[in-house]
Amino acid sequence: MEAQEFDEEESRSAIRIKVVGVGGAGSNIVDRLALSGSEGVELVAVNTDQQALAGSPVIHKLCIGKSITGGLGTGGDAEAGCEAAMQDLEAIDEVVAGVDLLFLTAGLGGGTGTGAAPVIAERAMRQGAVVFAFVALPFSIERSARANTAQEGLRQLRDTCNAVVPLPNDLLIQESDADASLLDAFSKADAWIEKAIKSIWLMLNKTGLINLDFAQLRQTFSKKAGKTLFGIGRGEGENAAAAAVADLKLCPLLHTPEFSKLADQLLVNIIGGPGIGIADTRMIMETMAEEFGAESDLVMGAVIDETLGDSVEICVLGTSEVSSIAVSRVVKKRPLVAKPKPEESGDVSEATGVPKARPVTHQRPKKVEQHEFAFSDDEPKGEFENSIAVMFEGQDLDSPTYLRRGVKIVL
Amino acid sequence: MYKTKVIAGVDIGTSKVTALLGEVVEGRKLNVIGLGQSSSRGMLKGEIVDFHQASDCVHATLLTAENQAGVKIDGVYLSQTGGHIEGFASEASVNVTSDDGRVRQEDIEQASALAQGRELPENRTTIHHLRRPYRLDGRMIESPVGLEGDRLDISYWTIHGDSRKISDAIHIINGFNLHVDDIVLAGLATSAAVADRDQKAHGALIIDIGRGTTDYALFLEGRCMKAGCLPIGGDHISNDLSIGLRMRLKQAESLKLRYGSAVVEHKDRTEKVWLNNDFEIGDRPIPIWSIEKIIEMRVSEIFEVVRKKLGVLYMPEKIASGVILAGGTSELRNIVKCAENVFGIPAHLGDNSSMASGELKESQYSAALGLLHFGLQYQNEQSYAKHRQSGIFNRLKTLFKV
Repeated sequence: MEAQEFDEEESRSAIRIKVVGVGGAGSNIVDRLALSGSEGVELVAVNTDQQALAGSPVIHKLCIGKSITGGLGTGGDAEAGCEAAMQDLEAIDEVVAGVDLLFLTAGLGGGTGTGAAPVIAERAMRQGAVVFAFVALPFSIERSARANTAQEGLRQLRDTCNAVVPLPNDLLIQESDADASLLDAFSKADAWIEKAIKSIWLMLNKTGLINLDFAQLRQTFSKKAGKTLFGIGRGEGENAAAAAVADLKLCPLLHTPEFSKLADQLLVNIIGGPGIGIADTRMIMETMAEEFGAESDLVMGAVIDETLGDSVEICVLGTSEVSSIAVSRVVKKRPLVAKPKPEESGDVSEATGVPKARPVTHQRPKKVEQHEFAFSDDEPKGEFENSIAVMFEGQDLDSPTYLRRGVKIVL
Repeated sequence: MYKTKVIAGVDIGTSKVTALLGEVVEGRKLNVIGLGQSSSRGMLKGEIVDFHQASDCVHATLLTAENQAGVKIDGVYLSQTGGHIEGFASEASVNVTSDDGRVRQEDIEQASALAQGRELPENRTTIHHLRRPYRLDGRMIESPVGLEGDRLDISYWTIHGDSRKISDAIHIINGFNLHVDDIVLAGLATSAAVADRDQKAHGALIIDIGRGTTDYALFLEGRCMKAGCLPIGGDHISNDLSIGLRMRLKQAESLKLRYGSAVVEHKDRTEKVWLNNDFEIGDRPIPIWSIEKIIEMRVSEIFEVVRKKLGVLYMPEKIASGVILAGGTSELRNIVKCAENVFGIPAHLGDNSSMASGELKESQYSAALGLLHFGLQYQNEQSYAKHRQSGIFNRLKTLFKV
C-alpha cells in the first residue's frame, strides 16, 4: 500500500498543514481544534484583539495591526481589519511560509475576519499553498450592514482562495436542537469546520484503500474558487456505508436543487473503520459520481481509521467556476479512480498508480446554464436561485421562512 | 345605439392562463361566450421568463376561447402582476374658491390633475390611478360636488410597473394579431370578482395567493386604498419543503397537496407520512409536523408581509367584511385559520357568485372575470363620458353555457 512511488514531486510526510483562525469566530474554531487535539496540524490564531488572543489555548498566536487598533480589535470595521493585516505582512508571510495546505477559518461580517482573511489567503497562495477557507456567515436576523460586509468579504475570499465554503449560521442552526442556545449553535458551526479539516487531514495522512496524495489535491483545486460545495455524511452499524450516503444526502449544506449540485471539480473522501469493504467504497463512489455529475473532475479517496469502529464518514468538497469568470484553463483528464473492480481488491492502491494524462489547455466550451453550479452565497433559494430576489425588511423572501427564522425542522 | 360587442379578458398567471370572452348585452350586461384555459409555461413569480413558451400557451388559450365562442376578437384586457409592480400615494388639496363655498366639479378636476402630475422614473409605466375617498375638511365623502366646505383633499394610489415587463406581456398578445385594450392589476381584477359592492363598502382585504405571486387589495369605504403584488406564492411553499425536507420539487409539490396545512395540526413530531407512498427504493418517512411547520411559517409570513405593506391603512375595525382569500394556494387546508391568526379579523374563501354562476364561480376564473368587469366599465366610460355609475357591478350577470 504505497502510493509514493508515483508521486511526482511531493513526499507525503513533508506536507505541512496549517489551520489559521482569523478574528474572533475564526480563533474560536482553532481553540476548539487545539482542545480536541489534532496531531500533525499546526494551529495559529490571528486576531486584532490582544485580550481575546491571550485567552486562547493555541500556542502560536499573532496579533496584527497593533499600531492601528492598539490591540483592541477593529470594532467591526472590515477596512481596519484589512489595514491591520497589511501592516503586519511580514509576520503573516512568516506564518504561511512553507505551508502546503492552509485552512483558513473566519466569521464573516465582523472586522478582523472579513478584512484580514483575504489578505492572509493571498499571501499564502503567493507562497504556493493550497488555501481552503471555511467561513461562517451571519444569521439573517443580523442582516443589513453585517450581511453586506460578509458578502463583500466572501467575494474577496473567492478571489484569493482555492476553495471557499460558506457556512450560513441559519443553516447550521438546523443541525442543533430546537431549544439549543446560540452558543450551542455556534459550537455546531465550529464542529462542522473541524470535521471537514479532520477529514481532509486524514485523507492525506492515513494509508488508504484508495490513496489520495497532495499533488492530486493541488491539481483538483488548482484554480481560484468559484462556488464551493461541501458536505459531510456519517453512518454507523451494519449498513454504515448506505447510512452515510443517506446522511450525506440530507446534509443541509448540500441541499441545493439537483442541477446546481454538479461541480466542476469534486473531491470525495471516505473514512471508514476497519470493517469497510471494497464493495461499500464502490457503492459510495458510484452514488457520488451520479449525485454530483459524472462529468466533473472527480478525485476519490478512501482511508481506514481504526478508531472509527463500524462507522463510515463521507466528505465531499467540490468547486465550480462562477460562469462569469475566465474561459481558458487547464483541464486535466484522468482515468476514474472511482471504480475499483473487485478483482483488484488485492492491491487497490494500483488505482492511484494509473499514469496520469498530462494536462491539456483548451478553450473551455461555454457551459449550459443547467450545469452552472449555483450554490447560494448564504441561504439556499432552490428554484428561485436565479430569479430576482424579493427583498423585504432586509430579508430575501425567496429563501425559506423557517431557515431565516431559525426554526429547526425535524427530519 | 347598443351594438353587440365582444370583450376579452386574459389572465396570464404563473400556474394557468385563462381567457374569457364576453358578449356585451344592452351595454351593461355581459354573457360569457368563450372560455379557454391552459397550464402556464415560461412563467416564474408572475413574470415571463421564457417568451416563446409563454406566448405559445397564451395563444393556445385564446384560440380555444375564440373557437368556443365562434367569434374573432380584436382586443383583450390583460392582467398584470409580478414583483416589478410598485405603488405610491399621491395627494393634493385645493381650497374651495367658489362664492357660495360649495365644491364645484372644477375643484375636483384641479385637485386630481395636481395629484396625478407626479412624474415617474424612466422605464416605469402607470397602470392605475386609484382614487381614494375624497376628504372635505377631513371628512370622508363619496361625492363632494355641491357640498359646502373649505378644503378638498384628493388622494390616489398610483400603481406603476416596469415598462419592459409590461411590454413583454403586450407583445405576446400582439403576436396573435390582437391589441391590448387596457391593463388591469391582477389583484384588482380578482377583487372585482370575489367581493361585491357591499363588502367593499364595509371594508375588505382581498388576498389572491397564486402559484407565483400574492396580489392584495384593500378596500375601505368602497374604494381601493392600496393594492400591490408580492412575488411570493405557492411555489415558494413547495420550494421551502424541498429544501427543508431534502426532496425534489415534484415530491414536495405532491406532499404539499396531500398533507399540506397552513396551521400546525400534528403536534407530535414523531408522527410520519411516507414521501412517495409507493414502497419503492427512495421512499422515506417524513414527520408531518415538519411539513406543516414549514408551510405555516411561509404562509403566515406572506400574510404578515401584506399586513406590513398596508401599514397604517390596516385598521381592523374598519375592515368589517374581513379578509377574502382567492387563488390556487387558498385551497390549502387551514389557510383561513392562518389568515385569521395573522390579521386578527374573520377571513373566508371568496368565489365569484356575485358575478357568475355555474363553473365560473370557481376562484380560478376570478381574475379573468374581473378583467371583463373592468373591460365593460372602461367601455361604458368611453361611450358615456359622465356615466360613472358603479352600480353596473351589481347588475353584471354572466352566464356560461357549455
